[in-house]
Amino acid sequence: MKLLQLLLGRLPSKKSILGIYAVIVTVIYSWTLFTSFYKLPSWLFYLTVGKILSVYAYAFSLNLLESVLALAGILLLDLTLFFVWKNVGEFQSRSILLFLCIAASSVFRLASFGDYGAINFFLTAEGAWWLTTFLLGLIVSALAPKIHWVRLVLDGLAERLIIFLYIYIPLSFISLIIVFFRNIQ
Amino acid sequence: MTQFSRRDFLNLAGVSLAGMLAPKQLHSLRTADSAQPNIIIILLDAFSAKHLSLYGYPRSTTPNIDAFAQYSTVFHQHYSAGNFTTTGTASMLTGMLPWKHRAINYGGLVRSELAHNNPYSLLGDDYFRFAFSQNPWPDRLMGQYYAEIDRFLPPSAYSLAQDTQLIEIFKNDRALASIAMEDFLLPAQESALPGSSLLGYLYKSRTLHNAAAKQTLAYSSNGIPEIMDPGYLIPYLNENVYDGVFAELSTLAAKNQPYFAYFHLYSPHYPYRAHNNYRKLFRADGYRPPEKPAHPFAGGFTEDFLLGQRALYDRQIAQVDDEFGKLISQLDRSGVLQNSYLIFTSDHGELFERGFVGHGFQFMYEPVLHIPLIIHAPQQISREDVFALTSNIDILPTILSLAGKEFVPDLDGEILPGFGGGGDEARPIFSMVAVDNTAFHPIQKAVISMRKRDHKLIAYLGYDQKMTQPFELYDLKNDPQELSNLALKQTGILTAMQDELFAYLNAANQPFIQK
Repeated sequence: MKLLQLLLGRLPSKKSILGIYAVIVTVIYSWTLFTSFYKLPSWLFYLTVGKILSVYAYAFSLNLLESVLALAGILLLDLTLFFVWKNVGEFQSRSILLFLCIAASSVFRLASFGDYGAINFFLTAEGAWWLTTFLLGLIVSALAPKIHWVRLVLDGLAERLIIFLYIYIPLSFISLIIVFFRNIQ
Repeated sequence: MTQFSRRDFLNLAGVSLAGMLAPKQLHSLRTADSAQPNIIIILLDAFSAKHLSLYGYPRSTTPNIDAFAQYSTVFHQHYSAGNFTTTGTASMLTGMLPWKHRAINYGGLVRSELAHNNPYSLLGDDYFRFAFSQNPWPDRLMGQYYAEIDRFLPPSAYSLAQDTQLIEIFKNDRALASIAMEDFLLPAQESALPGSSLLGYLYKSRTLHNAAAKQTLAYSSNGIPEIMDPGYLIPYLNENVYDGVFAELSTLAAKNQPYFAYFHLYSPHYPYRAHNNYRKLFRADGYRPPEKPAHPFAGGFTEDFLLGQRALYDRQIAQVDDEFGKLISQLDRSGVLQNSYLIFTSDHGELFERGFVGHGFQFMYEPVLHIPLIIHAPQQISREDVFALTSNIDILPTILSLAGKEFVPDLDGEILPGFGGGGDEARPIFSMVAVDNTAFHPIQKAVISMRKRDHKLIAYLGYDQKMTQPFELYDLKNDPQELSNLALKQTGILTAMQDELFAYLNAANQPFIQK
């Protein structure tokens, strides 16, 4: 009973979870749109507009899955790593920083790997890379929210990015329907 | 290098003797009984006819294919309509020229309204229809008519990467899902930036770990594994692949239904990684092809580098030839060939000259367009040679004819000579690369090759800045190496060929000219 009360006492508000999700969605969907601009010229060469939109439907469907998984992962990490700290007020900014560290690390590593000869480097350095990311993320997300203005900026950002949820999430559900219909016999 | 076994030799001697004793039959026509024959296509990717000893290559690269040719029909002047996989394969499967089917861009698709022109749809339910391509681009092309294929294996089948490919989830929308997932969101290619930032990373990491582990394992047991072009990190061993082909054909043969089976196998495509036991082959054998002037589009590779790459390619061919020889022996012994047409060919060739290695880009020289075509008919016991000019767009009409299907007027191809076709001497054979041209507009930026009788015209359209001489003309009878450009010397022939080419091109462009 006590443990349950303890857990419930540390659960963040729905509003702060929504703020975290808004940041996750913005980052994940924006990255997809950004990389699609590299592909778009070649798609225009051989795909009709309808087919290009269908490719985006696949992308947004995957983004929806990806964002939900990322949110679940970040919440789990935050609730376990920072369990001993009760400061729920920092939860939102802490989780955002943790996510940004992981996302930036992933994107940087993907962008820096551009050569078949680098496979071995990619594979051998992978453990060290993620350990460093993890530790750095831990430190940054634990300490940075202690600085008042950092917390204010991150919370303000999360609040403002919620608008993207109203755009991307309905688009994703429409995309899911498109993907579903394209894949039924 | 594996040679014929004693048993193979005896088999061959037996059929040769039978061929001498038996009255000569026109075996290239359909079998005497009216039952529909099985049709098997074995296509080896990037297999230049210029590198087969069968077609006069000085190195003994293909003794087993040479032996197979002794009881088959050999086409000596067979061309691909494209110089890379998408265009070459699409032309073969649709029986149409690239300017009509419009699969002209890397990884592109056939125009939806023409996609029904393919062996799977046109052969219909009479046939059990099988498809397998190690190369993801033909897999994508065939994904356009997924519903017409009874058994469709993913590119990873028979490979060392046995895990289920993601594309299998979206099999009913395979072509587009392949573009969305494999090209964009979750690419396993070496350098492509995934559209998915987190899952893309996980997928790439998993693929690379898998490939590395399998590569190490295969290296220790079998020598260097053939790993698919770095683009597609699916490691495989040719012996596994050819065993898979035999197993599949044995299963198909057991069915009480004629079948059509298309195997698009990756080797000897780059990166030319033959097994260790081939590593001394062709080393320091003194063979040096004639040097050719560097092409304006070439990367400027040195002659020594080209020679080295050529040797690696030839070793890969030798290995593939051994595997093919084993496969043919197995098929012969198991009786699969008794009632089957076996079509052996490629989608395009490979070039090791003019400062360039590979295929695609703006290169339309003979090594990259001249591909092998050998067809073994059921119970064929002697060799036939066809010297008429043929194109891979002729494969589909020929298949339909063999299966007793009606001729489809949409097709540009003709039934092959020796299989019911005439072999018109005046027929022009076109090949085209138009990767810089959108598939929806008239063809304005392309390199087109037109082969007619002994001459070959190469037209560089829309490349005026790079090509000071936009037309090349060769007399292939007297200059098979394409060393002497006659464009300025034989202006009469040049003009006549230009006129004919542009007449065809203008007609093909008409549907794309917006009113």
